Amino acid sequence: MQAQYARYDALVIRRFYVHNFRCLENFELPISGQPSVLLIGSNGSGKTTVRLALEVLQKIARGTNRVGELVKPRDFARGRTDVPMRFEIEVELDAKRYAYAIAFELPRGFKELRVLDERLAVDGAPIYTREVAQVRLARTNQEQEAKFLIDWHLVALPIVQEPSKLDPLSIFKQWLRHMLILAPVPSLILGESNQETLEPNVQVTDFAAWFSGLLAYMPSAYSKIDEYLRQVIPDLEDIKNPVIGADSRSLVVQFSKPEGSPAILERLSVPFEDLSDGEKCFMICALVLVAKDAYGPVFCFWDEPDNYLALHEVGHLVMALRRAFQTGGQFIATSHNQEAIQRFSDENTLVLYRTSHLEPTIVRPLSELQVSGDLVGALVRGDVP
Amino acid sequence: MRVNRFQEHVLVLPEDDYNRQLANGFLLEPGVRNIQVLRVAGGWLKVLDCFQSDHIRGMDDYPGRFMVLLIDFDGHPERVDEAKARIPARLIDRVLVLGVLTEPERLPTRLGSFETIGRALAKDCREGTDTTWGHALLQHNASELDRLRERVRPILF
Repeated sequence: MQAQYARYDALVIRRFYVHNFRCLENFELPISGQPSVLLIGSNGSGKTTVRLALEVLQKIARGTNRVGELVKPRDFARGRTDVPMRFEIEVELDAKRYAYAIAFELPRGFKELRVLDERLAVDGAPIYTREVAQVRLARTNQEQEAKFLIDWHLVALPIVQEPSKLDPLSIFKQWLRHMLILAPVPSLILGESNQETLEPNVQVTDFAAWFSGLLAYMPSAYSKIDEYLRQVIPDLEDIKNPVIGADSRSLVVQFSKPEGSPAILERLSVPFEDLSDGEKCFMICALVLVAKDAYGPVFCFWDEPDNYLALHEVGHLVMALRRAFQTGGQFIATSHNQEAIQRFSDENTLVLYRTSHLEPTIVRPLSELQVSGDLVGALVRGDVP
Repeated sequence: MRVNRFQEHVLVLPEDDYNRQLANGFLLEPGVRNIQVLRVAGGWLKVLDCFQSDHIRGMDDYPGRFMVLLIDFDGHPERVDEAKARIPARLIDRVLVLGVLTEPERLPTRLGSFETIGRALAKDCREGTDTTWGHALLQHNASELDRLRERVRPILF
């Protein structure tokens, strides 16, 4: 698996813009230059919608090209179907700026949205542009521009041929595929896998496949996983992933008796699915930390990483992630948890708010809001918008 | 890394939100471990009140626990003595009183955000330098910093 992935020396989202998608209208997320950012805001303020917008782009890179599987007519902000829905992202990879944009529209009489325009550019030079069904591939070395037609209900990005793994198109798609967008549901996470992946799903129900994929990609990843987990689960001995059938494995976590403990048992093996919800989140955190080093730096959006954790564990998990992403990549968290909120500061906390459900989401850095005194106190009082 | 209360660790009790952000920056420096930042107390006297009401017993129960009281000196460097007067003698070796001579908001913007300054302070601490600790608004911490380097640095790095 190792050979098929290029590495990046630098990665940061420079711009992420969404228009006319649910509660996001003319919305730009100001995260450029920040290794880690916290999104806070009342319920319904749009934090999860930001995640959904990122998911649209991630799904495209992971091969979903049918528009109807990406966005629905009900996703137009307040049913406003006469205005295109836009997603634009600019990222910096190896000192090159990649800009991808796609807009959808719903012409009168259509039941499914279609692509209005789409483009990918590197450092301002187009890789391809597209208007409705017409795709234009830019050519270098005096070759002529190539044109072809595509079904207007299909996105071009997954279809356009990648000349090589080191081609800008390939590098950008790989980065987008590898974005980690997480909202884990631990009760659904089992230990069995029959494949390997580096692209976990949002609920991380394919944790075991991700674990297998990471170790296949970088066998030394195990020592890093072990190093982090021993800090938060001191009696962890090891994690085994034995073959249990044709092409099938099952994770088993082994604990050992702490030194000086009067316990009779020396060891205890626990099937992965029997771990607590919080312990499964520690495991996910360990894989994020390893993925960042193995095939990153990566972009990670974790919706409420504090969910399922004991109060005294929250700060450590958040700081472990923030500290790791100081050296590359980007980590975005959402939270309502005061322990998590306190682990971020004014310059990396963004407040999302809406005046009402009829109004779009507004985002402002906390540093601009002049919150006086203790932030958590202000949040509890409702003094933060 | 979370703290293990049965091993040596450091708890930071910040006076206010700015000091909390300085502490956040300190924790972001690579390699920092065994440290936890507590909730803001809401004033330097409240830091002392909180220490007396909530933390003396914990320090007695866990001999590996050290505490950093992160306060604003509001232009009164002698405040360190006032603070120490409220710390039981048996615990004084494990409690450090640190802070900005005036208040964190007075630190020049060229030093960066509070987190950036906190990281720089941690780097100084790790490398035994005074690049940031030597700033006019921080150098009054010298004697406490000596204790920090001697006793607490091995716990943190």
